[in-house]
Amino acid sequence: MNPTTPHAPKRPTYRLLWISIAVLFASVFAFRTAIAAQDPAADPAAVRSSWEVLGVWVAAFLTLGIFSFLYKDNPLYKVCESLFVGTSAAYYMVNAFWTSLVPKLIAPLAPGFTKAYLLPDFIPSGEPWAALALALVPLALGVLLLCRLLPKAGWISVWTLAFIIGTTAGMRLTASIESDIMAQAAAASQPLYAVDPQTHSIDWATMLAGVVGVVGVLSVLTYFFFSVEHKGAVGATARLGIWFLMITFGASFGLTVMGRITLLSQRFEFLFKDWLGIL
Amino acid sequence: MSEPLLVRLGRIDRRWIFLAMALSIIVPMLLKVRFPEIPQPMARATFEAIERVPEGSRVLIAFDYDPASQGELQPMANAIVHHCASRGHKMVFMTLWPFGGPLAERTIDDILLAYHPGYKYGVDYAELGFQPGNEGVVKLMSTNIPKQFPTDKRGTPLAQVPLLADLADTTGFKLVVSISAGYPGAKEWVQYANGPAPEAFTFVSGTTGVQAAQLLPYYPAQMEGMLLAVKGAAEYETIVEEKYPPPQHPERIGDGRVRMGPQLVAHVLMIVLIVLGNLSMAAGRTRGGMR
Repeated sequence: MNPTTPHAPKRPTYRLLWISIAVLFASVFAFRTAIAAQDPAADPAAVRSSWEVLGVWVAAFLTLGIFSFLYKDNPLYKVCESLFVGTSAAYYMVNAFWTSLVPKLIAPLAPGFTKAYLLPDFIPSGEPWAALALALVPLALGVLLLCRLLPKAGWISVWTLAFIIGTTAGMRLTASIESDIMAQAAAASQPLYAVDPQTHSIDWATMLAGVVGVVGVLSVLTYFFFSVEHKGAVGATARLGIWFLMITFGASFGLTVMGRITLLSQRFEFLFKDWLGIL
Repeated sequence: MSEPLLVRLGRIDRRWIFLAMALSIIVPMLLKVRFPEIPQPMARATFEAIERVPEGSRVLIAFDYDPASQGELQPMANAIVHHCASRGHKMVFMTLWPFGGPLAERTIDDILLAYHPGYKYGVDYAELGFQPGNEGVVKLMSTNIPKQFPTDKRGTPLAQVPLLADLADTTGFKLVVSISAGYPGAKEWVQYANGPAPEAFTFVSGTTGVQAAQLLPYYPAQMEGMLLAVKGAAEYETIVEEKYPPPQHPERIGDGRVRMGPQLVAHVLMIVLIVLGNLSMAAGRTRGGMR
């Protein structure tokens, strides 16, 4: 070797990973074949079509491929990830074509063509001219948006963006004020003295929940009130608000962990039940 | 001088932690570990909210999720559909998520028609399917459903579907259920359908753990019932199964409880790891300070 040649970076090898996956799949195949030969009724594949069985094997392969990232990044994981991204994007595109573009744009613009070639069940509008006029608006806005692709006419797309932002803001503003501010304020304004309607005794649990709720709302609001320096009583209330926020974040994290563990649990259920047939 | 075990533990290869987490789920799953579920107030409130709706009412069930959240939400979807059918409710299914349609169909086949074979399409249940537009769909449904859904999922005009013929807007339902994994979902139903007409129908939701903190403020004033992730599903399954035992395939109303066994063991492991991680960090700092 020429001593002046710099060492080429060592290429990672995945021999152990490939062998593990090959051995695993061969073992599962042998196991399932043996089970099916011994007791055909016990084999879950007995109630599935060949295509469904193939689907289960492909899904198991992809699941293990994604899991393989936990060992280390590898080409199999990248293939599975790319497949996921590609199929998801394709599904969304096809879905958007058949649920948005065809019925909402092409159908009112060309009802005869739509019924003949795209949607045989399509029922033309009773007022075709009104439908056509209404469809021209999103068509024009869509064309303006596509101008983004033209280097010299990209600025035209801001008209469509302005429309989208304006309508979204307008729609959400009223809903937020009504449901997130007014209704929430009303829900937070509960009587601090509560009586159990069945026993007519003081309901201490409800009273405590009410007090904690009011104290929590006020202290968290104080924490986000930056017009006054957080010193003295204001500072103490703001610090209490931080505690409430931290407890909220903790609860949120706990719930997220629960969700993620459930997803993992479901994947293992699939592997052990549908693929291996041992659960 | 060699480092104490606690300090070295802080530098453990994280793949050992992945393996421990996998085992904490696989072992209880294979051993079929189950724990009794004691229904908490939120699950009870959800059950009672559905019970309060008069028998045979028209209800809307929105499958606002996709296969990525199926593990958390499908158990509660199964239990809710069985509960509603056991009360004789007429169910209308829809989704705000493009991938939600096939999940609704599978629930209809596996639960509704399997447990309640007397249900007839168009009379006892119907599917509106998916419409793009996120909260815009909910908003238009709150004023004009036929405009938003000129036909049902099978392409039949609403006027020709007996269950949907007189349906004008969301106030035509006595109960709306959103099984929600995020945007668009339960929050949008509160804001655009329940908000303008809070007394018109009962609203309950089932939600993922990730979204729960965002939705909790709406309970109970704007949301009469709420199922929190798989734990809520497990508790709700317990109540539903107690009052309305499934006629066959009881395991289909039990996935929530099945998943709570591994859940507990995995949580214990995570708590142990957090404690060990903190102890290791504290030990490392003490050792560094001593130097």
